[in-house]
Amino acid sequence: MAQPTTTAEEVVREGTPETGPGRQRLRRVFQVREFGILAAAIGLFVALSIARPATFFTEDNILRIAMQISLLTILATGMTFLFIAGEIDLSIGAMYGLLALTVSKMLFDWQWSPWLAMPAAIAAGAGIGFVNGFLTTRFRIPSFIVTLGMLGILRGIALVWIRTPPIGRSPQFDQVTAGRLFGEVPMQIFWMLAVVLVASFVLSRTKFGYHVYATGDNEQAARNAGINTPRVKLLCFVIVGALTGLAASILIGWVHGVSRGYGPGYELDVIAAVVIGGTNLFGGIGSVFGTFLGAAITGMITTGLVLLGAQQDSEPIAKGAVIILAVLLDVTVRRRQGL
Amino acid sequence: MEKGKAAATPVKNQTPLLEARGISKRFLHVQALDNVDFRVDPGEVVALVGDNGAGKSTLMKTLCGAYHCDAGAIFFDGQPVTIRSPHDAMALGIAVVYQDLALVNHRDVATNVFLGREPMRGPTVDKGRMVRESRQVLEKLKIKIPSVYTLVGLLSGGQRQAVAIARAVQQGGRLVFMDEPTAALGVQEQAKVLRLIEDLKAHGTAVVVVSHNLQHVFHVADRIVVMRGGRNAGERVKAEATAAEIVGLIVGAPSAMPLGAV
Ligand SMILES: Nc1ncnc2c1ncn2[C@@H]1O[C@H](COP(=O)(O)OP(=O)(O)O)[C@@H](O)[C@H]1O
Ligand SMILES: [Mg+2]
Repeated sequence: MAQPTTTAEEVVREGTPETGPGRQRLRRVFQVREFGILAAAIGLFVALSIARPATFFTEDNILRIAMQISLLTILATGMTFLFIAGEIDLSIGAMYGLLALTVSKMLFDWQWSPWLAMPAAIAAGAGIGFVNGFLTTRFRIPSFIVTLGMLGILRGIALVWIRTPPIGRSPQFDQVTAGRLFGEVPMQIFWMLAVVLVASFVLSRTKFGYHVYATGDNEQAARNAGINTPRVKLLCFVIVGALTGLAASILIGWVHGVSRGYGPGYELDVIAAVVIGGTNLFGGIGSVFGTFLGAAITGMITTGLVLLGAQQDSEPIAKGAVIILAVLLDVTVRRRQGL
Repeated sequence: MEKGKAAATPVKNQTPLLEARGISKRFLHVQALDNVDFRVDPGEVVALVGDNGAGKSTLMKTLCGAYHCDAGAIFFDGQPVTIRSPHDAMALGIAVVYQDLALVNHRDVATNVFLGREPMRGPTVDKGRMVRESRQVLEKLKIKIPSVYTLVGLLSGGQRQAVAIARAVQQGGRLVFMDEPTAALGVQEQAKVLRLIEDLKAHGTAVVVVSHNLQHVFHVADRIVVMRGGRNAGERVKAEATAAEIVGLIVGAPSAMPLGAV
């Protein structure tokens, strides 16, 4: 044949070093985002410390907030994957409650080995996530509808199944989930750090992470590029479930039991943490580190309101308002950046 | 071998790079493709023209695995193949630049060039290699973009089109489909895209380009295929065709069309 059929290779000079405005601009965008959130978190901490030095700024209180934030971060990390992939899971609070009840049931009623209870809870969560993801991707039903239905189902199961919530202690289980590492650091914090580090790595470095961003940003483009977007989304739902199982286990190791109605409503905290952290609910944008900061802010708002003497019942008002404000801010900033 | 060789007019009886026979595709109420034959020779630029709704995009999408055809056979290098997904097409060396720019806005240029084909280094994506190789391909195509770290959403229409083309080239394809690559662009950017097509051809890559602009078509194409109402309405080697003739085929009145109407 007369013609070359492969692309002729040209000798190409090494690329010039990147000094163009693009990288700088990107860096600036990053700085504005993450520093803004970081500044807000620190500002809130300082403000509460000054306003309530005797109750907020104490080792006990700070440690307790840190443990709460740890659980919230673990839950919100899963949701971050899902948001970036362009989906949502409204059943996360109900799932959290049901799985916590399940863990206490396994440990205290069925006397399961503590080594089995946590993996079982994680697997059960992954299973629920799979159902959410399967219904969403296979039948192309919007995930907020599927998971709203799931919210009702899971809450109902908890109420029908559990008459008296099991309460108890399992020293080994408590030690692993909520004990003190080296006699000092609460295990909750250790688990959170592990989850945040692994999740950050997966999201920013692995192929799967790249595909999560692509899927949520422009699903058609991702599919055209050969990415199996339904599978990517399904996996994100499974990750949400698995991490919810982990958080539920830690919760039981920490507080030794929860009431039947626990869980539903907590999705508000999780979503607040994620959106305050700068993750976009339309997909394609976000980071686990941002979510961690968002969880810290959400946790401090919760505690701060109580310490400042607000009624416990007014909490959802504050969180709901914060979610709307955070998204409003995000949308405005992005429009101005032209993205 | 000289570069000019790749641009030579294809020999008549060589094995086509891609050949589609009797392709039909029906959407609910529309017969989008009706028994279409279509051929691309190695290193050739084929222009696919036709009115809106003639089936150009559908034919392209069928040949690159985005749609499944109801009937017909596809041959690549003379071998029968089934292209059931974008993956299959990629594996054959078919790259696509979609009409609705298939880019991911909040990711950088390098990530978009390698979208779905991220090179790995152990468990992680090899970002360094993505950056290096996307710079190389941009340079090869003489595409000027401030930096491969720029978010694609911040680029101009022409730059985005160039990134989409660079991705197709980087894929190392032997055949690149482009669906209306100049439609959304300014005049200068259009000229750049045409030059990119010429560069691709000079590198031995076959190109199928859908366009409404006959001036562009006559500028870059070796052969012009006209679609009308889901059928292949005729094709002409560029050297032997006039614009009036092509317009006639497009509207379906080959003889009644006076020359002045172009
Ligand atoms: N996904 C689809 N679903 C239903 N009808 C479609 C779809 N894609 C294209 N069509 C129809 O098929 C016909 C051919 O469309 P298309 O290939 O996009 O034309 P062209 O690209 O030549 O303008 C049109 O009538 C169009 O409305
Ligand atoms: Mg079209």
